Amino acid sequence: MAESFYKSLDIGKDVVSTRTLLHEAIPLTGTIISGTYGVANIKSYAHGMFQSVYDYPYLSSSANYIFDITTGVGANSAIHASVNASGQKSKKLNIYNQMAQVLMGYDHLGAIQRFDEDGDILAGGNKLDNVIFLNFSRLLTKDEIKKGTFSLKLGANAAYATPMTKLLEITDASGSSGFLVNSPVGEYGILFAKQSTGNPLAATNVKCGLLFYQAGICALTSSVLQQLLTTPVSASATGTATFSDLLTGSTIDTFANSFRHRINNLQFNNTVELNSSVYFCRVNHNEYNYSTNPTYLSGSKIRVKTQTSDLPVSYITTVGLYNDNNELLATAKLSEPLKKSSDTEFTIRVRLDY
Amino acid sequence: MSLYKFDEDDLFTNIIEANPEYRFYVQSGSVFINKTPHLSGSNTDNIIGVTKGYMSLYEYNIDRPSGSFIRPFIEKDGHRVTLKTRKKTSYNTSLGFGDVDFGSYNLSASISRYYYNTATRTKLFALKNTLDEYSIHSPHYQYSSSFGDKNTQIVNLISIPSILYGSKIKKGSVSLKYYVSGTLVGELKDENYNGELIQVGPEGSTGSGSVAGVCLYREGFFVLTGSWSLDSNTIQTDANGNSKWIHYNYGAHDGNTIAATTVSASFATDYMGTTRTQTLTMLAHAPYGELNHSNNPTFFDASDVQGIGTGSFQYIEQPKKIKNIVHSKFSDEEPEFEKTTYISKIAIYDKEKNLIGIAKVATPVRKTEDKQYTFKLKLDI
Repeated sequence: MAESFYKSLDIGKDVVSTRTLLHEAIPLTGTIISGTYGVANIKSYAHGMFQSVYDYPYLSSSANYIFDITTGVGANSAIHASVNASGQKSKKLNIYNQMAQVLMGYDHLGAIQRFDEDGDILAGGNKLDNVIFLNFSRLLTKDEIKKGTFSLKLGANAAYATPMTKLLEITDASGSSGFLVNSPVGEYGILFAKQSTGNPLAATNVKCGLLFYQAGICALTSSVLQQLLTTPVSASATGTATFSDLLTGSTIDTFANSFRHRINNLQFNNTVELNSSVYFCRVNHNEYNYSTNPTYLSGSKIRVKTQTSDLPVSYITTVGLYNDNNELLATAKLSEPLKKSSDTEFTIRVRLDY
Repeated sequence: MSLYKFDEDDLFTNIIEANPEYRFYVQSGSVFINKTPHLSGSNTDNIIGVTKGYMSLYEYNIDRPSGSFIRPFIEKDGHRVTLKTRKKTSYNTSLGFGDVDFGSYNLSASISRYYYNTATRTKLFALKNTLDEYSIHSPHYQYSSSFGDKNTQIVNLISIPSILYGSKIKKGSVSLKYYVSGTLVGELKDENYNGELIQVGPEGSTGSGSVAGVCLYREGFFVLTGSWSLDSNTIQTDANGNSKWIHYNYGAHDGNTIAATTVSASFATDYMGTTRTQTLTMLAHAPYGELNHSNNPTFFDASDVQGIGTGSFQYIEQPKKIKNIVHSKFSDEEPEFEKTTYISKIAIYDKEKNLIGIAKVATPVRKTEDKQYTFKLKLDI
């Protein structure tokens, strides 16, 4: 047996913590959201406050929950007073306030902070008071949405029956470098709308919402399908209602149905942080050259040392990590035994992911 | 927010052992897991995105066309961390630093069968030491004994991946049924709980009471050697002849072709797995007279605007009135004030007061000064 069976790790030299980022590409094609399964993968609730979207008919145990859609109208909105009884006025207000207080927090007077178009709250500027919310599932966003990867394509043709002949694309183009940190729920980026097909936007690269990376929530102004377009789109298959009309006179479910109808493509990447501790286990030339394994001896003699001139040899198969009280915490196995003799030295790198 | 410390009577660590049931049904080369039919979708012929007869390990890409799969990726950098499916040589030679390495979530697992009637029997030979080790439970485990030499006799090895049983197959739960034209011609059970697979049915059948093989509970294998005829019908399996235990599960991912007479044979494998889940139970107490104040802005009466006194050397906030939310049946009379809060979540902190977990109650719990509660929090670890 080597002279020191337990060998202490020097915390300063032998242990290092690292962080690795693992990503997933999440493509959510529009047809899943807007039609492949009809409404079998769309769950509406009796409370009528939001709609849940699944990737397969939700009655199947195979279905995965993808995201929720809802909308909110703030008290400062120009259309707030016009929201009628069938438009779920109080629910839309409650949703706006609930989302705003969670995502934006409170001001110095304790009032709920409104969604700010450019995230610069002190400077004032435009506020988002009519907002569409997409709350993505934790299964998809994991630790956070990867900054700069979000893309949502919306059909922006005026006719309801052929929404995808004109497309606009919403991205967090500035997210990779220009994200903001003044939200209680972490970092968020500004969403910009740009032309994709058929130039439906009145101006390109206009701010149209906020994307909260760690919370996994997209807050989109409803103007993106109305005031920001050269021609506001139809939100109803049967009439001429616009999305503004749906906000004031229709339920959240009806609004969500019309919005889903115009989702062409949605994709982003997510991020998972893998935290690791690396332990450098150093084996000096004069250590671990013997073994207490019963097979190491044959007839009370060391099996590998039959001549006095033979070098002692052992095979390292496992590294045990112990705590201060010499209690075994973890073992690391080598893929194949490592031959160790007095003329070799090793540093075995043990990585622990958590 | 108030902080309380758990004492030793508030924390319990337990292990929950569960025994989920599994069933494989094999017929005509098709494998059905847990009675789940093969569902075709709008985009794929099997909605879970893996070959029929296999279970999906992630179940991420449900009925998705190829090209729009959710998939993991990682950039090659100095950490040299990559996905497990990437081989070391390929990682070193095919990828440059900064390149993106994509993986797949369409991973699968299922039962498989290996039929050994020649000298080459690699997978079986790898189990020689394991089989011999278990011979203390039954001599039928022995690789070579008076009951037969597994190196020369025909052996039917059924392999079950550990994701389909957990840490071990539960002893006494194994049942292998052999059907011909829908009629049960043989059933094996480990009724002695020692790994011997004994033919227990149908009553009076040929070989009834005989040991047709053994089960490796921890490793997930059935080693079948029973070579007596179970009925008189001639069907095409490994050989054109009678049904025998060595032909059990014919067509279960073994690469064999299915003949016209094969379809009359079907096989049902039932067993229970074992999973052990450690759980931490924490008891959080809300005592009398405590936790009756909130810093939530809605805790105060909105109509009571907070007065602020300022001067050259002072900034004084006037006390705010707490909103009285005590229920009253009368609209013209305010009920007697009672401090009331609603507990909606319990946060768990570590020794350095870092937030490490949050437990939410299904509906907020009303807390007044004359009420006390104990919340039971359970965490799977």
